[in-house]
Amino acid sequence: MKLFIYALFAFLSALVGSTHAAIEVVCTTGMVADLVRQVGADRVRVTALIADGVDPHLYKPTRDDVARLLKADMIFYSGLHLEGRMEATFEKMRQQGKPVTPVTSSIPVGKLLTQGSAADPHVWMDPLIWAECTHSVVATLVKADTDGTSLFNENAARYRESLAVVSEWICRAIATIPAEKRILITAHDAFQYYGRATGLEVMGLQGLSTESEAGVADINRVVDEIVKRQIPSVFFESTLSEKNIRAVIEGAAARGQTVKPGGMLYSDSLGSTGTPEATCEGMLKHNTHTITQALSGNTP
Amino acid sequence: MMWSELDTWIVITGALTAMACAVPGVFLLLNKQSMLGDAISHAVLPGLAIGFLVSGTRDTFPMLLGAALAGVFTGVVSGMIERRGRVEAGASLGVVFCSLFALGLILIRLAADHVDLDPGCVLYGSLELAVIDSASVPRIAWQSGAILVLNLILAGFFFKELQLAAFDPRFAKASGIPAGWLQQGLTVITALTTVVAFESVGSILVIAMLIVPGATAMLLSRSVAGVLLWSLAVALCSAVIGHLSAISIGPVFLSLLTGHGNLGSLSSAGMMAVCAGLIFFTIFALAHLAQRLFSRVKEHSVTPQA
Repeated sequence: MKLFIYALFAFLSALVGSTHAAIEVVCTTGMVADLVRQVGADRVRVTALIADGVDPHLYKPTRDDVARLLKADMIFYSGLHLEGRMEATFEKMRQQGKPVTPVTSSIPVGKLLTQGSAADPHVWMDPLIWAECTHSVVATLVKADTDGTSLFNENAARYRESLAVVSEWICRAIATIPAEKRILITAHDAFQYYGRATGLEVMGLQGLSTESEAGVADINRVVDEIVKRQIPSVFFESTLSEKNIRAVIEGAAARGQTVKPGGMLYSDSLGSTGTPEATCEGMLKHNTHTITQALSGNTP
Repeated sequence: MMWSELDTWIVITGALTAMACAVPGVFLLLNKQSMLGDAISHAVLPGLAIGFLVSGTRDTFPMLLGAALAGVFTGVVSGMIERRGRVEAGASLGVVFCSLFALGLILIRLAADHVDLDPGCVLYGSLELAVIDSASVPRIAWQSGAILVLNLILAGFFFKELQLAAFDPRFAKASGIPAGWLQQGLTVITALTTVVAFESVGSILVIAMLIVPGATAMLLSRSVAGVLLWSLAVALCSAVIGHLSAISIGPVFLSLLTGHGNLGSLSSAGMMAVCAGLIFFTIFALAHLAQRLFSRVKEHSVTPQA
């Protein structure tokens, strides 16, 4: 049976291959890979370098990863310094003539959250801003595959519409949370865009730098807020340790306020392949559902 | 396993960097300052924060400059504390780098909490990526080669003085050698070598190669010149064997160990450091064994006379 499926798969891929050769695309994060798949459909073969559950701030490529980058027809990365020092290498590859695109390059600068000249890279948290990234993907794909132009444009437009629907659904869901409980407490500062899009107040225990640790003052500040506003839940993140959030729960308990772990949110990585959370939309829906349920709202 | 140009450059660059670090490493070891590299890897944090605050960007140059200044500061100030404050070398290093690291955390917290400023993100490069370059010989290979040559020239030029200053600073001073200045020069050179190497190949390879080749070489030779040569050989072997195992037996071993399928290659810089450690332990065990055999033979030959 297994053999038969393999044979069928080989046959089908041979069939597809005979019509046109798919562009080999390597992406850094799962979010970017999902975006390119949505736009490129079967005219691209997409792989992601950074595995599910790995913090992209800390990822280091191995020799095989670099070999895959060198072999790829095209590379997409997130940008805004999410990939850190890897971006310098991408710049060099672009100079060598390989199409290498930071997907966030098509987001209008005014829509980005910044501190100094450094922008917050977690743009996939706001579906409307993530939708802007389709433009740079289309522009790059079209240069390599002009026959696909209309398909890429259609797919991109459809994906933008679908993200707009998701965005609207998210806002409706968050709006069902009682106003005084609309606060999202997570392990690090990855939800600023999400908060801005939904009107949810966001509190990260630690800043963006992985090196900076949550101090006692951070934990106390968060616990104060929980006690004052009777917040029912705080949240874990899939790529970070649960330790700090546990400290908050214990801190609140010591002051007589029971706060429950609201569940696990995806921040810097998608869910594993095969689950609904393996796409950006699925991940945002999962996060929204988890947040809404835990903060006594109702998902529509 | 398919060998490609990529592998060639990873090995060449890794070996050159390893040897460039091994040279000052030997003298640091003699001065009981071998943890300087590790200390600097933590002490760069305030340098990065100040670099960001002044320049407003996370571009490589301001980060590198801030890190280099913090590195030199660590070396110079810990050396001063050691000599003036009658504090042991390791402790003075500890005092300085912990304070700097903490200062870095506070600076980030105060001024740039919404910016990812950790060294892993803004400073440390990676060996595997560094070798990708538009030129036929990657810039990184030239750079690490140049640092190696510079370190070798300096070590050769000041060899006698460094040797004397390390073993007998008082005698060195009495015979007119500025031992203090020499040691400060050594820490400055080490700081610059480490920070530049951090920027191009990441931290683990650099920290390991400052210590392990020298430590291994000390088991093999009793003269400083011998130790220096052996440490270069150990650094070279670690780089070559390290990359080979990272792309061949390393993944196989790991997949057997964890039960996962094919994991692909491992981190080359990481495996180079592991190999340096393995070489050390092998030679350590052999030296120990040889010593025991030797002493037993000696006992035998001595006993009848007694």
